[in-house]
Amino acid sequence: MAAFDYAPAIVLLPFISFLVSLAGGKYLPKGGAFGGIAATAGSLLLSAWVFLTVSAGNAYNETLYTWAAGVGEGTTTLTFGLLLDPLAAMMLLIVSLVALLVHVFSLGYMNDEGETGLPRYYAGLGLFTASMLGFVVADNLLMAFMFFELVGLCSYLLIGFWFRQEGPPSAAKKAFLVTRFGDYFFLVGVVAVFATFGTAKFAGEGAFPVLAEEALNGAAEGVSTFGFAPETWFTIVGLLILGGVVGKSAQFPLHTWLPDAMEGPTPVSALIHAATMVAAGVYLVARMYGFYALSPTALGIIALIGGFTALFAATMGVVKREIKQVLAYSTISQYGYMMLGLGAGGYVAATFHLLTHAFFKALLFLGAGAVIIAMHHDEDMWNMGGLKDRMPVTYYTFLSGSLALAGIVPFAGFWSKDEVLYEALVHGLGGSPLLLAGYAMGLVAVFFTGFYTFRMVFLTFHGEPRSDVARDPHGVRWNVKGPLVVLGILAATVGFVNMVPVQELTGIHLEYLHDWLAHGELSALTSEHYGELLHDYAGYTSAELASYVAGAVSLALALAGAGAAHVLYNVPDPDEHTEKLGAIKTVWYNNYYQDEYQVWLAQSVVLPIARLADKFDQGVVDGVVNGVSSVSLFAGSRIRRVQTGVVTNYAALLTLGLTALLVVFGLMGGWFA
Amino acid sequence: MVPVQWYLLLAAAVFCIGLFGILTRQNALLFLMSVELMLNAANINLVAFSAYWGNVTGQTFSLFTMALAAAEVAVGIGIILVLYRNFNDVDVTLAKEMRW
Repeated sequence: MAAFDYAPAIVLLPFISFLVSLAGGKYLPKGGAFGGIAATAGSLLLSAWVFLTVSAGNAYNETLYTWAAGVGEGTTTLTFGLLLDPLAAMMLLIVSLVALLVHVFSLGYMNDEGETGLPRYYAGLGLFTASMLGFVVADNLLMAFMFFELVGLCSYLLIGFWFRQEGPPSAAKKAFLVTRFGDYFFLVGVVAVFATFGTAKFAGEGAFPVLAEEALNGAAEGVSTFGFAPETWFTIVGLLILGGVVGKSAQFPLHTWLPDAMEGPTPVSALIHAATMVAAGVYLVARMYGFYALSPTALGIIALIGGFTALFAATMGVVKREIKQVLAYSTISQYGYMMLGLGAGGYVAATFHLLTHAFFKALLFLGAGAVIIAMHHDEDMWNMGGLKDRMPVTYYTFLSGSLALAGIVPFAGFWSKDEVLYEALVHGLGGSPLLLAGYAMGLVAVFFTGFYTFRMVFLTFHGEPRSDVARDPHGVRWNVKGPLVVLGILAATVGFVNMVPVQELTGIHLEYLHDWLAHGELSALTSEHYGELLHDYAGYTSAELASYVAGAVSLALALAGAGAAHVLYNVPDPDEHTEKLGAIKTVWYNNYYQDEYQVWLAQSVVLPIARLADKFDQGVVDGVVNGVSSVSLFAGSRIRRVQTGVVTNYAALLTLGLTALLVVFGLMGGWFA
Repeated sequence: MVPVQWYLLLAAAVFCIGLFGILTRQNALLFLMSVELMLNAANINLVAFSAYWGNVTGQTFSLFTMALAAAEVAVGIGIILVLYRNFNDVDVTLAKEMRW
């Protein structure tokens, strides 16, 4: 297939833009922005071509480069390759489209605002996009891990873009270290996969999910589970890899980096939260879903983490003052839904939510960026108000994104979020009661989502302006409005690709995403196959329940939340009603003291342990080495006295030695006998 | 003809005199002389055995030894001059700064 021959260029184009911006950005107009736009546009076109080729029923799974060939029996070979199946093709489109729009938006947010260091900025964006695209097309776990780490590096570089201020470098370090903590487990998991299966390929002959399935049937050769039962061992490996997912996708308890990451430029926040970085974690679980589907324990843990995170983050979003902080917590919450969907056996539902969320969250962040430009970089919503009439394009697109986020029919988020909740409910009722807990948390979070979303909208755009800047906001140009309009339309319409409740009510075939993911040349990567695995190995069975019933329940809750926000905040001069929550507000505003607790953990638990280890290292390990060497030192200091420096002594010793030798030879030779 | 043993005894005596000089003296010039004595003891042996076997190789070799001795004296005198320049004396026990 011709499209597949050009597929590596999807990754290479943004990488070239990175190199160009880095080397010659200051000589280029707009600090290298046009190179980045051209590169991501090229990636988008190629992705679309790949998408069309894949939709014709083709798939691509080839090794392109072997960088460490295993020699002999039982060794592993480390390779780079491409895996292009329906999931990857869909994700490529999302990433390259959002990256393109973010590049265009950056013209308005960075160039027009007179920022300095633009070549560095566009170089970072290029590398970020390239890393994420490389991660999406990776055909094995090790390659995925390498690009996963590159994504983390780029987030560090971009969050800390304004390195002269105090906040951004600290936030960048926090993001880097917290995700690195999770990635440590991921790395151990990658090694465990290699040690267990001898390969880390996602698909094809002898791919590790396939081998794992065979091992559970007792039919696989060369799979070593290190003395554990295969079920137990696969759960352990899955949970290790999940460590990286929890860190990158900002799930509890490693979510603390994400709100701080708002210190970065707003377009970067859009890129991080919509298409790259945070999406990487969820995408990884979807990519190797054939492996997770074998372990009901791992799935249960994923679902519980996801459900809990969804609720936990949503409550914190309710009380925040800054527009980007609200969006940050909504991101954590929405990725929680995706994890819940994956854990509940809703592979398609979670992927669907990944798709819709990418568009509406990119939209919301870019919309927030437009508001921030208008407000001269004041992010406090209590200083805004009344922006609706002064920036209508931003308002209506932002509203479209907010309706999608809150899950109001017929915007995108409604269809996907309800499908996630529906999957959790039917599988929960069908014999996995653990999922019901996840469902309950997810359902409560729907109310909070509706509330904080519309609190944000009303505070920002409705009512009377509460500051001079809000009365006379800074205008925005086409390069801000253009991306907003594209995403605004997508956020309203992209949900139509998969309207299961409508299909059930009317009988018209509307579940295109289900069809898209259900079939394919690589049969082990289809949702059909995953469904069988979930049924056979994880014991998931679906209860009979009409999806529009579940949908109606969550829609009612979302409307209730939005309505509450409308009553409280859609007035000319709203009060801070969250103050009435008292102590709960304090706890929420301080993020459940998660940061304090983690700092306490580091300072009061980890630091003493580290000190103890240091003492052991300095005292015992080094002590033994130093003790041995001190013997040599002492002996040397005494024995060196032989070297007097007086020639006569040496001559005498030489003579004596010779004489002694002669005597010995004489005695042994029998001269004196 | 003098038996070869006498020559060997003479050579041993000369060698021991040279060795005694090296072990007891501190003056570098005397060292040099003593070394010459020891070299010449070896020369005596070479010539004595050469005569004994009727083979001229030993005598030829002793010529080489003499040339070598001359060269050695040249180097030795150089070292002694440096020694004198640094210590204002030719006492070999003074030059021990480089020990341990």
